[in-house]
Amino acid sequence: MAEEQVRYYILFANYEQGLALHDLLDRENIPNRIAPAPRAIQGELSCGMSLLIQPEALETVKDCIRRHNAPHHAIVPLAGQIKPRRDRYC
Amino acid sequence: MSDYVQMWKDLGMDLENHDLLCQVLPTAVGDVFLSQENRPKAMDFWDLVISEVHGIRPAELIEAQKQGRKVFGTFCVYVPDEVVVAADGIVTGLCGGSQFWVPDGEAVLPKSTCPLVKASVGARLGRTCPFFRIADLYVGETTCDGKKKAYEILGEDVPMYIMDVPQMKREKDILKWKDEIADFAEKVEEFTGNPITPEKLGEAIHIINEKRKALARIYECRKSTCLPISGRDALLVMQIAFFDDPVRCAQMCNRLADELEQRIRDGVSVVPAGTKRILVTGTPMAVPNWKLHNIIETSGAAVVCEEMCTGTRYFENLVDETKTTLDEQFMALSQRYMKTNCACFTPNTGRIDDILRLVKEYQVDGVIDCNLKFCCLYDTEKYAVSRALKEASVPVLSLETDYADTDAEQLRTRIGAFVELLNG
Repeated sequence: MAEEQVRYYILFANYEQGLALHDLLDRENIPNRIAPAPRAIQGELSCGMSLLIQPEALETVKDCIRRHNAPHHAIVPLAGQIKPRRDRYC
Repeated sequence: MSDYVQMWKDLGMDLENHDLLCQVLPTAVGDVFLSQENRPKAMDFWDLVISEVHGIRPAELIEAQKQGRKVFGTFCVYVPDEVVVAADGIVTGLCGGSQFWVPDGEAVLPKSTCPLVKASVGARLGRTCPFFRIADLYVGETTCDGKKKAYEILGEDVPMYIMDVPQMKREKDILKWKDEIADFAEKVEEFTGNPITPEKLGEAIHIINEKRKALARIYECRKSTCLPISGRDALLVMQIAFFDDPVRCAQMCNRLADELEQRIRDGVSVVPAGTKRILVTGTPMAVPNWKLHNIIETSGAAVVCEEMCTGTRYFENLVDETKTTLDEQFMALSQRYMKTNCACFTPNTGRIDDILRLVKEYQVDGVIDCNLKFCCLYDTEKYAVSRALKEASVPVLSLETDYADTDAEQLRTRIGAFVELLNG
């Protein structure tokens, strides 16, 4: 199912780093979206932003990060995170 | 993963319980917002805000408090932000929209209280929301019975000021609300230590009017047959408007409106042509209550307008900016706020007029009239709303729900059938 597809979350130490990479990726027209980091991969007792990218953009994103030496914490693959009809609200 | 833990500790929050909320929020945001295709680029701002909802803005408020500013927590669109802003205070909305906070509210309130009230009390007493910890003064109001009684309980835990909202809209009621605003201004001056002058109040009125105009621009775009933004995104914008700095809010909303207007010129819609257009009316949807919008918009329809406090009631009607004395300004404020058609008033035929007008303006195919459980005011008005819409030959679906997920399937069945009916 499309909803079970793997997506990649880029995690950051703080939102300033996240916004900086978001701007870089936007400038290079590399698709990315600001998303709350799924708690399962945060590893610390804290909310926070991540950047969500599709698998097909992964290598381009990594290349952009390398070229700009952009600070980030990790890039983590996760499946099945987005299901519009799951009806689990908060 | 910004580290806000120390800030939350300093606020006396229950970190263990709060972490449970942090676990469910990303899932809901992903399902409701990130599942959408072709969203406006300017939504990035609101994606950031919701991703860091208990981080960035609370940190800003705490920083402002260190500079000597006071934070006022409010629960109703009748409380005039202008008065607080005029005294260099900061307003933050405090209505709770999460089931997560309901059990802590039910510890002190009857279960037969509306979920918004239970969640608001629970967020404070359960110590799981930074905004409820940060606010220096809560400003309540005498709208519904549930809130009035809840404020008595909250008032045992936090400084509380209550504004007496009239229940009718006669000339003497408008004068009464003006006096109530003047009394509130005195309280705000005393609490902040800052005098409210006509110049300061004039500036504040302008700031809040600009915010209203910016929100109205976004809504104006939703009237287009080429729908440039989903109802879910528009709802998020509206919900965050209650928390954000008003100048930044206007700036971001205008930026979004620029993009939406361009999308309309370019023919970029978020839904296929012919998608049925829904007006949602009823009780407010405080953040993060996205259930109804998400179900409607994943059932083949689009929400194009909300006639509710988290909708048109928040931004329609501007305050007259030409007045130069405090007395005149308080009257101008009263006149504007008393145009808001809340079900706590009797009679409240203005709300019916609003709904019928909005149906035309937003080219609505059907209305969903939904109230939160145990809100007898909006539940009772369903009769008059439904009758008026039927007389105007506008299909209407009346619903009742709360913040729990348990009725989602039932809602999907009823809303799916309604959309099918509209599709004929």
